[in-house]
Amino acid sequence: MTLTLALDTATEIGSVAVGDGHLVLAEMSFGGRRHAAALLPAVHDVLDVVGATLDDLTTVVVADGPGSFTGLRIGWATVQGLVRARDSIRVATAPSLLGAAWVGSQFSSGPVAALYDALRGEVYGAVYQLDADRLEVVLRPTLGTVADLVEQSPVRPVLAVGDGAGVNRSAIEAWTGRAPLLPPVGSARAGALLALADLEGALRDIPDPTSCEPDYGRAAEAQVRWERQHGRPLPGSTGHAR
Amino acid sequence: MAEVVLGIETSCDETSAAVLVGDGDRPELASLVILSQDIHAVFGGVVPELASRAHLRALDPVVQSALEQAGVPLDAVDAIAVTEGPGLIGALIVGVCYAKALADALHIPVIGVHHLEGHLFAPALENPDLEPPFVALLVSGGHTLLLDVPAWGRYRLLGETRDDAAGEAFDKVATLLGLGYPGGPEIERLAESGTDRFAFPRPMLHAGCDFSFSGLKTAVLYAVRASDDIARDRPDLAASFQEAVIDVLVQKTARAVESTGRRSVILGGGVACNRTLAKRLARHLAGTAHVTVARPRLNLDNAAMIARAGWFHLQRGERSDRTLEASATLPLPGIEPDPAASTPVTRSS
Repeated sequence: MTLTLALDTATEIGSVAVGDGHLVLAEMSFGGRRHAAALLPAVHDVLDVVGATLDDLTTVVVADGPGSFTGLRIGWATVQGLVRARDSIRVATAPSLLGAAWVGSQFSSGPVAALYDALRGEVYGAVYQLDADRLEVVLRPTLGTVADLVEQSPVRPVLAVGDGAGVNRSAIEAWTGRAPLLPPVGSARAGALLALADLEGALRDIPDPTSCEPDYGRAAEAQVRWERQHGRPLPGSTGHAR
Repeated sequence: MAEVVLGIETSCDETSAAVLVGDGDRPELASLVILSQDIHAVFGGVVPELASRAHLRALDPVVQSALEQAGVPLDAVDAIAVTEGPGLIGALIVGVCYAKALADALHIPVIGVHHLEGHLFAPALENPDLEPPFVALLVSGGHTLLLDVPAWGRYRLLGETRDDAAGEAFDKVATLLGLGYPGGPEIERLAESGTDRFAFPRPMLHAGCDFSFSGLKTAVLYAVRASDDIARDRPDLAASFQEAVIDVLVQKTARAVESTGRRSVILGGGVACNRTLAKRLARHLAGTAHVTVARPRLNLDNAAMIARAGWFHLQRGERSDRTLEASATLPLPGIEPDPAASTPVTRSS
């Protein structure tokens, strides 16, 4: 058995799942904006269900952004700690939006748009065509208004999922022709990341997970303002040792 | 009892890891790595989101470096101590989640440590004979408070700032004077060539052990605005401001010593790196109380002090569980009510 653990903490509903390949053996979700407290106990809960421990893991799949900045860091810092102690574990990632689209694909055939609320009138959005044995990235994860997504997507999705679809309900209904699938059903799930494992191009390996970071989808607001004011990128820095 | 403790600190803009080795109550510092984030300098203060992102990129390499410098393999670590608060919540979360997962995968305990309790233990790293009772003055960019420490793990709040922390005032005044960030070292350097001629107020100097620095900061603002030659006045403004802050800190500490009868004082926190403050405090209390100040590297935010405080709690059999979470406003553990105090017993960062 090749035991894989999947984590998705990119949105308000966090989840963990454990599986053998793409087969989901156990899954649980948590909310209440307490992902940092809930994540590790949930990992043990799903491992307990299948009679396994952290020592049995061969792969960890962690949800990538865009998504909640803090939520993403909770997942990625946890994975960093796990693989520091178990460096034989393979680490892979996929956008949380892809997981949400996979959930949508279980309810409808055709392209699915996944949208997370990015606040300030914007969404993180992507469009995927998910078939049983094939994944097509129609529109890569992007930040913008729903109108921006409509303009950029080469196809009209048959369904939209995610909390970003909920806060733009009328625009979404005009785009897809139907009501969106909203959380808690229409949201990302760690189990979806496992289900996607066999689809070519769904997961991206992270060769050095201990110093990597997620795709936040948006620069920090202070950085945006500074770069606008100065007309150049914020100077990069790794800091200095004391 | 743990023999090797890994400390992790990510409460603000320093990513730090340290290794303590030993047994009993006298562990030795085997390594300390501190990575200071430079990215905030252009903003004149710490940007929480940028700090959190930088911690995630840097933490594991910093931990690796600390272990390598200590010559300790990861599987020899017996426990992990991590700052759980107070501090910037996003920054704290990175350290806490990493530490919990690492400890879990290694099947070793993890202990959450209060950042200020870490500062209290910092001098004990260099002075293993240091033991309470003592009065502690903790002064940093996020805190200014006076504690009576009758024993390790037992604390009585004597006073705290009602507005800005002293280090925060240093940073803000540095910005007013057009100096760099962090402001403390810049002001101290500039003050060496200035004189105290502006007669800035010494807020709440004769009232209890609480502090207030916002009015002093405003007084500097007015003086800067009134200056017709800021280049000429800048050193004197820096010297006058620093003198006012030091006067208040020294007088309040002396009052705390007098009211408690303690014969020992600990000066800790980032502002304790100010040599003028340390000298003035020692001189003022000479013959009354002995002042202990750790070297600057241990007064800055660092993981060695977290590991040392964690060592104390681990030795008492304390452990955190998997639900440990970061808290921006964590109350100091072991705080005891002071019947004479008019201030609350906990505070935010």
